Amino acid sequence: MKIRAHWLAALSVAALASLPARAADPILIGVSLTQSPPGSVVQGTQVKDGMEIVKDLVNAKGGVLGRPIKLVYEDNQGIPEKGRAATEKLITSDKVVALAGGHQSSVCLAEIEVAHRYKVPYVNTNCWSDEVRKRGYPEVFNTSPYNTLVSSTMSTTLAAMGVKRVVAFAENTDFGIGQAKLTGEMLKQKAPQIEYKFETLDRSSKDFTAALLPLRANPPDVIVLSMLPPAAYLVMNQVYEQGLAPSPKTILYDGSSLADYPDFWQNVKEAGKYMLSFALYHPQMKQPPLANEVAAEYKKRTGNDINRLVLQAADSLELVIQGLRVANSTEPDKLINAMRTMKFDSLRGVSGFSTEPGYGYQQWLEIPFVNYELTAEKQPIGQTVMIQAPGQKFDPTKIIRPTK
Amino acid sequence: MLALDLLANGLIYGCFYALMAVGLAMIFGVLKVVNFAHGEFFMIGAYTYVLVSLKLGVSPWLALPGAAFAGALLGWLVERLLMRPLYASYASWGFMKDEYAVVVTFGLSLLLINLVDKIVGPYSFRGPPLVDIGRFAVGPVLLTGQKAIAAAVAVALMVALALFIKRSVWGLQIQAVAQNRLGASLAGIDATRTTSLIFAVSGMLAALSGALLAPLVNPSPDIGAFPAVKSYVIVVLGGMGSIWGAMIAALILGVSEAFFSVYVSYDYRDAFGLVILVAVLLLRPQGLLGEKGREV
Repeated sequence: MKIRAHWLAALSVAALASLPARAADPILIGVSLTQSPPGSVVQGTQVKDGMEIVKDLVNAKGGVLGRPIKLVYEDNQGIPEKGRAATEKLITSDKVVALAGGHQSSVCLAEIEVAHRYKVPYVNTNCWSDEVRKRGYPEVFNTSPYNTLVSSTMSTTLAAMGVKRVVAFAENTDFGIGQAKLTGEMLKQKAPQIEYKFETLDRSSKDFTAALLPLRANPPDVIVLSMLPPAAYLVMNQVYEQGLAPSPKTILYDGSSLADYPDFWQNVKEAGKYMLSFALYHPQMKQPPLANEVAAEYKKRTGNDINRLVLQAADSLELVIQGLRVANSTEPDKLINAMRTMKFDSLRGVSGFSTEPGYGYQQWLEIPFVNYELTAEKQPIGQTVMIQAPGQKFDPTKIIRPTK
Repeated sequence: MLALDLLANGLIYGCFYALMAVGLAMIFGVLKVVNFAHGEFFMIGAYTYVLVSLKLGVSPWLALPGAAFAGALLGWLVERLLMRPLYASYASWGFMKDEYAVVVTFGLSLLLINLVDKIVGPYSFRGPPLVDIGRFAVGPVLLTGQKAIAAAVAVALMVALALFIKRSVWGLQIQAVAQNRLGASLAGIDATRTTSLIFAVSGMLAALSGALLAPLVNPSPDIGAFPAVKSYVIVVLGGMGSIWGAMIAALILGVSEAFFSVYVSYDYRDAFGLVILVAVLLLRPQGLLGEKGREV
């Protein structure tokens, strides 16, 4: 009798497990991000904020396929090995239907290997390194900006400015080195007369003065920053302290939308004035209603104005949600196919994914961008001087330089 | 001109390094353990300075002693609650639980980083400067008011510490306990109280270092990693437990890092300290002013 009871219990469990998900069961989406140091907790926090808002908005309207969305978070600390382990756990243990929220290129590069092995869709939120696309994994979709876009734009800008000498400071990451190298290669094609060199800086360092001092004798026309906070803020402050930029001769050009970060002005103060910035968000850009809804909710929850990273995060979850609706299924292969072929109504414009191999593989290529200049301390982005409006040409005559 | 600039900048950073490292050297000198949470004492000092002055609107000159008090209190609490089991009830160092110190200070370090991250947030804060003087030139060297005043305060603190150790009764007690804990106890010195004092002074110095550097390094929860790594290199280079060795080694490291990064490679600037460390361990394992060994 005892043995029969055990068999019955085991059969019941097996039968229950084989039943399809009930209507009320949440759809699980995995999010591996940096929630504690040494990685960028600042980025991780914004990615989480953006995704939480979209999840709440979608769930308030009844969810997807009649089921609520549930985000399952794992903290990767910005360490590639931890990202790899987190992704493995999310896929095999939590059984998520897709992964989104990836930020920091070196972590993404580790995580996409796992997603590719298990053939689970992976949405890259903010990994700029072209290498993420060049691997050509069909599971990886990129709503994130990419280094080729930024470097191409920056080299066009530098050529239009008619400068002679450019020095770039790049953080020692896949993003920083990739962007600085690419900018150099593109400058060789677009403006070979420009003398360009880049210096790699350790992002964990606090004193960059020794790298800056040799420039004082002969300052370049432009100092390009391919760095993220907090190291980028320190470099800016030390560039200012050494009298290198801003100056009538030298202008600082940021390649990572630094002014978007909520702590930007608190950390740079006068060193941020006259900085030229390649940026992925500006209030002048066209915003669909959902983006406005997300912006209002973000302001309500955090007190901060919306920025590009929160929108990128919202976009990456929105891509999965639209994919689920089109696929009408949570099966990974159907979801991947839907995401690849559908027209994606992004929070930053309508988009689709390129299928060309290389840096553009499954990348949203036409990401809108602007170039603006910060002309006063604590200046809100909406009040900056627009040097290149969305879809327009860069106009170097609009650049304002300090008088002394 | 560039060499002068590098020398000045290297010496200034050397002073900051010294302030960070001396506390670590003192703890090692007395307890023969490495405090892996030393960087977080620095972080607590930096945050106290920034938050007290920015959020409470207190003058930075008043926030500075506030940071010193926070560091001293943290140091005292760490010794009283976490470190005392290390030596309490053991008469001989032969029975010391060294592994306990490693685990407990490493755990404390992670706890403090994550606590600050959760309570204050991940964003970095630039501390207000002590003086409102922008950049100015001293000959060919460009300085800012904050850098100059912070270096001057750091030097004053080092001189005060040197006088405290050499001249005060408490300083003599610290030296005695560092030389021979049992012998000092037999001579009537309260070794336990002296150890508490060392932790409080060590915490205070690290916190002051964090406060002085807060306007220059924009503290974030993981800011302690940078001073901690430098301090470990300095303590070994100067001679484990030697306060004077740590001061000299800090200046050497600051200046040599500045020259190395310009004339050799900036990419390996932080690795350079570790190269010096390996060289010292090979050629002079006891460090610059350390002792080869002592049997009592």
